Amino acid sequence: MKNRIRELRTSRGMTQAELAKMVGVRRETIVFLEKGKYNPSLLLAHKIAKTFHLTIEEVFLL
Amino acid sequence: MSQSKSTIVPVSVLFVLSIWGCAALYHGGYIPEGKGIFIFAMIIVAGVFAFVRHVWRYKDAREGFAVEDELSTQIRYKAGYYSFITSLYIWAAIFAFHQLIPDVKTMLGGGILLSAIASIGIKAYLTRSYDEE
Repeated sequence: MKNRIRELRTSRGMTQAELAKMVGVRRETIVFLEKGKYNPSLLLAHKIAKTFHLTIEEVFLL
Repeated sequence: MSQSKSTIVPVSVLFVLSIWGCAALYHGGYIPEGKGIFIFAMIIVAGVFAFVRHVWRYKDAREGFAVEDELSTQIRYKAGYYSFITSLYIWAAIFAFHQLIPDVKTMLGGGILLSAIASIGIKAYLTRSYDEE
């Protein structure tokens, strides 16, 4: 699944570590998410979308 | 954070005990040779690896990062499955070539050690190159 996490994170001047801390995952998980190698659970997708003040559909693309 | 705090103590104790155990064996007159050195080296490496890993996790937890999350859990389950399959093949190979192994102690110890090495290797590989696609 493609996503806009890297784009949204960098546009907000956020580091991977900061995003990881905000959504409660390890830094490595953000790395795998940004590379598109890991599809998050609905709960994590919701947390990430909420962090960016967007909906899940706006962050994760099918 | 509490999980990391609770695991660092037993890991540290086990690490120190393994060092003391080696020192006691050495001073008790048993000096490992050949495969004994290899086994002791593997025990020490495993101890150091576990200790360093827990120190890193403890540091991460202190900085406010999650120690475990859904990806690490998935990797652990997947690594467990692959390790189990690999161990089956290792034991099948050991039984197939048992005439090449000098004694039962070496066969059992070697099998357990090889399974542990395979498990650590598989987990390290999956942690680095996990790909769900």
